[in-house]
Amino acid sequence: MREPILKVNNLHYSYGNGNPALDGISVDIYKGEKIAVIGSNGSGKSTFFLNANGVLKADHGEISYQGTVINKKNLRELRKNIGIVFQEADNQIIASTVMAEVGFGPMNLKLPKEEVIERVEEALSYMNILDFKDRPPHYLSGGEKKRVTIADVIAMKSEVIIFDEPTAALDPLNAQMLEEVLVKLGEEGKTMLISTHDVDFAYRWAERAIVFDQGKIIADGTPLDIFKNTGILEQANLKRPAMLDVYEMLVEKKMVADTKDYPTSPQDLKVLLEKQFKFA
Amino acid sequence: MENSLGKSINFIRTSEKAEHQVTHHHKIGHKHGEGSAIDFYAYASKLRCWNPTFKVVFSFLTLLLCIGLNNPFVSIAVIIGMAYLTVLKGGLSLAAYISVLMIPITFIIMGTIAIGVDFSSQPIGQFNLFLGFGYLFTSVDKLQEMAFLMLKVFGAISAMIMMTLSTPSSEIIGVLRKAHVPKLIIELMNLIYRYIFILMDVFNNMRNSADSRQGYCDFKTSCTTFGSVASNLLVVSLKKANAYYTAMEARGYEGDLIFLEDEKKMPMRHLVIGAAFIIFLIILGIMTH
Repeated sequence: MREPILKVNNLHYSYGNGNPALDGISVDIYKGEKIAVIGSNGSGKSTFFLNANGVLKADHGEISYQGTVINKKNLRELRKNIGIVFQEADNQIIASTVMAEVGFGPMNLKLPKEEVIERVEEALSYMNILDFKDRPPHYLSGGEKKRVTIADVIAMKSEVIIFDEPTAALDPLNAQMLEEVLVKLGEEGKTMLISTHDVDFAYRWAERAIVFDQGKIIADGTPLDIFKNTGILEQANLKRPAMLDVYEMLVEKKMVADTKDYPTSPQDLKVLLEKQFKFA
Repeated sequence: MENSLGKSINFIRTSEKAEHQVTHHHKIGHKHGEGSAIDFYAYASKLRCWNPTFKVVFSFLTLLLCIGLNNPFVSIAVIIGMAYLTVLKGGLSLAAYISVLMIPITFIIMGTIAIGVDFSSQPIGQFNLFLGFGYLFTSVDKLQEMAFLMLKVFGAISAMIMMTLSTPSSEIIGVLRKAHVPKLIIELMNLIYRYIFILMDVFNNMRNSADSRQGYCDFKTSCTTFGSVASNLLVVSLKKANAYYTAMEARGYEGDLIFLEDEKKMPMRHLVIGAAFIIFLIILGIMTH
């Protein structure tokens, strides 16, 4: 049995008003997983992320990173290894040049300056924004700011990267750029958790989906299983991905044979159709 | 490719905005957004790649000499030298440079007129002007003193403006940090500089949304709206402060705000030319004493 990279056990958290924001969350996350965290607004996704990074301290429950239970002393280790890309770039960017901004995390890790510079350049070229190095963040566009915030986390070399609704407020081109970066990071074996309301994106990108509802995890499994489960979709107020509907309609009308090989994108469907109709 | 294209378009747009602001200013007399225009010029300046410590020290020395030597020839040399640096070397348009200088010029003229011209009930002085209830009077000496003072202040200011128009605030803060200004002040300066722009953004959004709902239709409504926007801004900034603190903690902030600073090379040539200019000013000051 593989050892989970991040193990969350019976986590409870409530904000000042007494209502539980997290109500007994237990989840094991393994290295290299691509996880979509879905659920309506206020279901506890962001609170969970902040707990996982150690910014919020849980009322009950424990978090272990690579088998070590996190306490006050090794909190630093947790923050170093779990990076969050926040939903609003303007709430994350703190420095007044892109270079200082991306270097902020590595500087806090107390790395030598040469290494910080090396990491900054690496992260900036990874995100294709090396030319922005000396630019102040207030002259960048929304999509460019998003790239800077992702470079922030890449420069910290976190094992686990959490994206809090990354596609919100991005135009289609930038959203596509983001998806390419996610694929690239996935190929490098990074563990990723992404909260999103875009079910089509979750369906085509994720290997595993976790559904939050009112501070509880109500489902955890492959996106296909979850999106086929009407009960869960109703409880969490989710829509079905368009590609799933299309495929099931085609099967129902006997237009294609049911191979159980569900296409998640129009390209996949095209491949499937070409395969099935080659000999027809 | 797309990336660089988008970027250049963005930059052009920003410069258009800055340009627009400048032309705008000629009409309304420099009231809004001048700060951000100066900030933009500093980033666009060709002198930006110069070592910031050199620029700060050089302009301070020039400023001190300009005041200390108290000599109109030195003042003129400083004014010409700084205009040369900012406009020709820095690549700032002359119109923009003059537009930035307009604010201090207004103050200088208003301030020095009070020194050059005096008021009396008797017709005294070399020249006087009867106003019905008294006389405005002045003399050649007084006018000369006024002109020299103007030149001196103008020279000192143009030295400072050369610095602000070629060095972004973050780099000036970096120089102050090297000069051992207390850490608390440095951290505050860094944060304030970053948040000015965020605050302006948020304020603009709120104002526009209030405007679109007829929030500024008459004077009374405008006052109420202004009050609501201001109080809302306070609440939002408290919330934002929280969000930032969270984001900083998530990246390992532990009480020390340390930023990576770019080391810029200090070519010998700059040092020599800078020193030569300073020495030239001193000699000029002594020769024409």
